[in-house]
Amino acid sequence: MPVVELSYTRLQKLVGKTTIKQISDSLPFLGLDIESEDKDLVRIEYSPNRPDYSTDFGIALGLQGLLGIKTGAVKLKIKKSAKYSLSAKPGIEKIRPFVTGIVAKNGKIDDKTIKQLMTMQEDLHFGIGRKRKKSSIGIHDLDKITFPLVYTTANRNHQFIPLNSEKEISISEILTNTEVGKNYGSLLGQSSQVPLILDANQKTVSFPPIINAAITTVTTRTKNLFVEVTGINKEDAEDMLSVIATILQSAGFTLESIKISGAKNSSPKLEEKKMTVNSSLINQTLGLNLSTSKIISSLKKSRLDASSKGTNIICTIPAFRFDIFGPMDLVEEVALGYGIQNLEPSLSPSQTIGNTNPVSLQLKSLDQTMIGLGYLEALNSSLTSKRVLYDMTNRDTSKIISVLNSKSLEHTILRDSILPGLLENLSRNIHESYPQKMFETGTVFSIDNPLSEKFSFSGISAHKDANFTEIKSILQSALKTGFGIKIETKTATNPTFEDGHCATIILNGKSVGVMGKIRSTIIENYKIRVPVMGFEMSLSESILKTKN
Amino acid sequence: MSQVFHDIEKKIITSLRDNPKQSPETLEQSTQLSPDQIRRGIEWLKLKDLAIVTESKTSIISLGKNGIESFQKGLPERRLLDLLKTGPKKLSDLQKELGSVFGPSIGLARKNNWIEASSDQISLKTSPLELPGEKTLQFIGNEKLSKDKIDNDDLSGLLKRPDFIIEDIVKTKDIVLSDSAKTIKLSDSSGEIDVEAKVPKIFVARTHPLKDTIDEIREIFVTLGFSEILGNMTQSSFWNFDALFTPQDHPARELQDTFYLDKISAKKIGTPEQIRNVSESHKKNWRYQWDINEARKMVLRTHTTCVTIKHLAENKPDEARIFSLGRVFRNEKVSYKHLVEFNQIEGIVVGKDANLRNLMGIQREFYKRIGITKIKFWPTFFPYTEPSLQTMVYNERLGKWIELFGMGIFRPEVTKPLGITKPVLAWGGGIERIAMLKYGLDDVREFYNNNLGWLRSATKCR
Repeated sequence: MPVVELSYTRLQKLVGKTTIKQISDSLPFLGLDIESEDKDLVRIEYSPNRPDYSTDFGIALGLQGLLGIKTGAVKLKIKKSAKYSLSAKPGIEKIRPFVTGIVAKNGKIDDKTIKQLMTMQEDLHFGIGRKRKKSSIGIHDLDKITFPLVYTTANRNHQFIPLNSEKEISISEILTNTEVGKNYGSLLGQSSQVPLILDANQKTVSFPPIINAAITTVTTRTKNLFVEVTGINKEDAEDMLSVIATILQSAGFTLESIKISGAKNSSPKLEEKKMTVNSSLINQTLGLNLSTSKIISSLKKSRLDASSKGTNIICTIPAFRFDIFGPMDLVEEVALGYGIQNLEPSLSPSQTIGNTNPVSLQLKSLDQTMIGLGYLEALNSSLTSKRVLYDMTNRDTSKIISVLNSKSLEHTILRDSILPGLLENLSRNIHESYPQKMFETGTVFSIDNPLSEKFSFSGISAHKDANFTEIKSILQSALKTGFGIKIETKTATNPTFEDGHCATIILNGKSVGVMGKIRSTIIENYKIRVPVMGFEMSLSESILKTKN
Repeated sequence: MSQVFHDIEKKIITSLRDNPKQSPETLEQSTQLSPDQIRRGIEWLKLKDLAIVTESKTSIISLGKNGIESFQKGLPERRLLDLLKTGPKKLSDLQKELGSVFGPSIGLARKNNWIEASSDQISLKTSPLELPGEKTLQFIGNEKLSKDKIDNDDLSGLLKRPDFIIEDIVKTKDIVLSDSAKTIKLSDSSGEIDVEAKVPKIFVARTHPLKDTIDEIREIFVTLGFSEILGNMTQSSFWNFDALFTPQDHPARELQDTFYLDKISAKKIGTPEQIRNVSESHKKNWRYQWDINEARKMVLRTHTTCVTIKHLAENKPDEARIFSLGRVFRNEKVSYKHLVEFNQIEGIVVGKDANLRNLMGIQREFYKRIGITKIKFWPTFFPYTEPSLQTMVYNERLGKWIELFGMGIFRPEVTKPLGITKPVLAWGGGIERIAMLKYGLDDVREFYNNNLGWLRSATKCR
């Protein structure tokens, strides 16, 4: 989950008549988790579906609603302006087809506001922008730009001074030498042409989705902003723009429209949408019996507008709330506005009879039997390593099942056997007193068009008098008591077990596992100083019943 | 405290009073007990602080090949002197008689001035009664003796001779009585035992603490009317993500968060209708090109929700309480907080009472039964439920609220494409967190270390 860092006092100023205590008590009920607090600074975790909460301006809007300071939908006031236009040129549709934008004027920008806008931009890029692939934003100093603008293509030799640089460099150089270039250059593919926004004087404004020009850098002296969003999908680009527009308006800017045209582009509407939900769906889902007026006031506290028509609630949803897909999302908005703390849990008697899965029951009975025989239960990861599974025990590596890009070297391969893990456990306990007897039941994996998962059962006994007779007695006794079955043993050879001390476990004439004395070379690998006996057998084929 | 001793203990104490420092072997002889009885007796006395056992190294001396020959025939120089007693002998005759020891014996006898040598014969000057080493050679004989029992001056000459003496360093145990044992009264009334004595530690075999917690949670839900279903840990992306409304380009699906299996993809992922409906829902709501090959990629399940949603899609019940319990995986760095593999329980309710307050009620009841009463609910976000809540429980030991199970109602975007028409309540969360509370652990890795010290001693702290 993304995190934003805020100042309580600044947030308090934005919210209006409230106390810091009220703010910190209310944040969780907006769905925001307080990750940490340090005096005035607070770090807040927010959900990726609410990018408006990536700034204190957006959080303040939510708090105002919940605390009843200002309720109802936030309306975008966009002044129609003929001064600003941007046209897309043919050719752009093959690279990054859509562009949209807005102008925001007469705002006060301090360091904190710049920081909040940067966080929002990063969050939008990462989340709904899908790492800038779907859509990306550029925020510029309006007064450094001469309109009209064009959204066009240029080749990779095109030069300009990019953000955080002092000299002109080419597109190719940006893509190979700068960090953003390396991170996002692949979004442009192999095309020789790249997208650019140029102003009326042919000055480069932006090279989406990579970097802005240095000249339009926003500083604390900036008064007026130009925001552009480009992307591969018009709706997504406009969704992103609606979040920025809402936040900038809340930050005190006056919005003015830009006329967008050319190559299937058109001006953004950033319109509210209407959605109807029946109050019975709301009441049934929440387990409440709210009147329509209570539903409406709850929706208003969630910063939506609503009216009723019979039992239907007609809801007006601002453009930036594109996380609302359908009526069920409105039910949640009612619950939030009503206050989750006001929902009293209730327990209705069960209409069903509960059952433990028969496999779980049988495994449990086996566990109890092994414990009765003096064996301690161990638990190991099923995602383990080549070292534990194969290298230490000389086992066959031809059917390894591995995962991609594991962050942990100890967890790269799915186990096909439990016993190696138990041996590893013994090696980590050589300082503990003997005898050491352990068992484990669990899932093992094998390749089988595409994969099969089976329950396996393994045990080990390590002490100075450990011998084959003991382990065979234990296994026989466990299976007799646990499942009422009788096994036989037949001489075998196995890379893990000592020759002459190794047997196949036979059930109804079929081999189901192996048992015996662990090879002394393996014991030495693990620096264990006592003999070790072990067994492993599959439970899935003929032992566990899947139905009662 | 009146000390009562076992017969074995009494015999050992008595023997040690006569002969204060003994090895287990000498105790066997003096007490006529078996080696095993001696071993146990010493162990008991040690636990009672009555006997002190020290290990020491002793040098054991025995005769080598040449030593044994000399023990039987006499030292080479003695053999030479004996031959000369009957008069001077020719060198060649002596050589024939003495064989390989001819040279060394002549050399030694000349050096000590026992013999006189002319051009071709040797005659006796004097024959000492006892030669250096002779006494020691006889003393050792066929025995193995501790070096400190041998006259070391006399031995030193023999040690220099090849293959005469074998010296072995062996570890020996010496048992002595502690001061209190020297004067302690040995009761005569046999048959009584010391019921107050310390006894050796013995370790219980038991269920793994985490498994114990899992079993407890399973039982609670069964008694609340839920039935358990099982499912695979390896799943197609279709059931782990697509069916749960997680778009294919969502960051949670990337390699750095999810374990994808190398070179393995699912052949059959669902019915044609399921695939068509799910892909339509994605295209419409998330606006992107849905790719079936992405849905075929096999992953280690990131939650058990894939098991319940599959069950619902296959059975479409009107009324049901079902749960699934098992291991789930996240590609994370392992730390005291995070494991790559952990256990999750996840349950659903389908039916006419399926509403959010009931869902909260089931949670409250569950927490009550595991001993947690201080809980509250906060709103949260999950891609596949709406509304969504999380439970916060108060941990007295840490003095703070911690997040436990998440819950919500499956989104219509999830249920509708799969033909599920009734509302479905769903909840779930990690079990290790609960087990950590129960066992007072701060490091989640402890559950999978299989550290015997901990497994043998862990106790619930609730």
